[in-house]
Amino acid sequence: MKALALVRAHAQIGFLDLIRYPGYVVPTVVFPAMFFALFDLPFARRAPELADATTLAFVVFAIVGVTLYQFGVGIAQERGRPWERYLRTLPAPAWARFAARIVSAVLFGILAALVVAIVARAFTPVDFTVTQWLTVFVYALAGGVPFVLIGISIGYWTSSRAAVPIATAANLLLAYAGGLWMPPDDLPRFVQSISPYLPTRQFADLLWSVHGDANALRALAGLGIYTVIFAAIAAIGYRRDERTRYA
Amino acid sequence: MNERTVLTLDALGKSYGAIRALDALSFSVNSDEIVALLGPNGAGKTTALEIVLGLRDADSGSVRLFGSSPREVRIRRRVGATPQQSAFPDMLSVDEIARFVAAHYPRPAPIATTLEEFGLAALSKRRAGTLSGGETRRLALALAFIGDPELVVLDEPTTGLDVESRRRLWSVVRARGNGRSILFTTHYLEEAQELATRIIVIEHGRVLFDGVPRELRERVGGRRVTYVGRDGPVAVTTLDADQYVRTMVSSGVDFQNLEIVHPSLEEAFLSLTGGAK
Repeated sequence: MKALALVRAHAQIGFLDLIRYPGYVVPTVVFPAMFFALFDLPFARRAPELADATTLAFVVFAIVGVTLYQFGVGIAQERGRPWERYLRTLPAPAWARFAARIVSAVLFGILAALVVAIVARAFTPVDFTVTQWLTVFVYALAGGVPFVLIGISIGYWTSSRAAVPIATAANLLLAYAGGLWMPPDDLPRFVQSISPYLPTRQFADLLWSVHGDANALRALAGLGIYTVIFAAIAAIGYRRDERTRYA
Repeated sequence: MNERTVLTLDALGKSYGAIRALDALSFSVNSDEIVALLGPNGAGKTTALEIVLGLRDADSGSVRLFGSSPREVRIRRRVGATPQQSAFPDMLSVDEIARFVAAHYPRPAPIATTLEEFGLAALSKRRAGTLSGGETRRLALALAFIGDPELVVLDEPTTGLDVESRRRLWSVVRARGNGRSILFTTHYLEEAQELATRIIVIEHGRVLFDGVPRELRERVGGRRVTYVGRDGPVAVTTLDADQYVRTMVSSGVDFQNLEIVHPSLEEAFLSLTGGAK
């Protein structure tokens, strides 16, 4: 109970600190929807099935962008700051701070995904029941977790300068090869063969399963494996940073 | 007095490459003590505090905080510390930061009262990024006390403040020191003399002196009286400058440019190291 209160306190402070920078919030939250409007809207308007599939793909793109990119880069910049040093002196275990970061990152991602959903509702024949929308967002909460951990891993294993290009490349490549920008069947054959193993594709499969187009359990299992792997990489990165910074 | 040991450092050693920061540093802090860790920059004060706060591990020796390792979260609930200067996220308010820190402790002090004591009541809604240097410093200090911990660790609590604000903070810290232990670092001899019940002087990572302020004053706290006499400049170090000047005046000695100065910390060290030889 006490630990949960700590996670909440850390998540709250992290969220408040970010939400008050309009220059950060607006582009972060609006960018995925803008991308959706520019490139996929014409395509999505053609038929309800296409609208459903692309909308969900961009919900994934929104969450991955915020969690992997924004929070990954954020860690790389923050980890040397005096405030981080102070947080380490407070009586809170490292895992509580990690959990808080996951919570605030996923919440931010959900905000960006909501904007995508609103644009889709307004301009495409997207057709989900309320229950389906709710399922999508519950799945989205869970699906965001491994991507925060990938972001944290990038943040701890790269310098603050390298983090931006590396996270950008990871974000865009995973989005493309995961089939978020075009139907997976239209990807080049080679990409098609690796696509099902990528976390972005598994996340998209998880959401597409709402329509019965994919197997939710398989997707969840894949995301679970990525969660474990990147939790370990992030934790090792954190320890390594601790050793070099406070040796 | 029911004295209890809160913190023990036993022969701590720590090197950064070729630089030896701590060299078998040993001292302890008991309950209800206000201990000053006095030393020039690079003496090892900050390294010692970082080990006490569980940020760093020593290369050798041991540190016991309430009988355990400072790395343990359970133990750190009994300790409050100051962040380094200007460490706060710009967009968080004073009140939000205070609440956040208080959330880590089982029985925190009332937030409003604590902020008020440190002169922050009127600033509680202000964002940290808009605080002046002195206000930031006061917030840092308030945070160390906000959890109502048994041990408070302050890293150079008043560095960069003017004399007036420094004195005001001393009285707040003194009032808050009741019933708990405080360990603070400083490179102001005066701060150590005014605030501490015990002073530990360290240099090159070793304890040079460990005793009560009066003892240190007797060892190094003399005043230097300088003037230009008939035969040129004169400099005398005396424990009682008032008496010395009184005698000087009544004896009718010719003098100009009379000055009485506190010895600098560097001079104090010279006399301490000189005394050890």
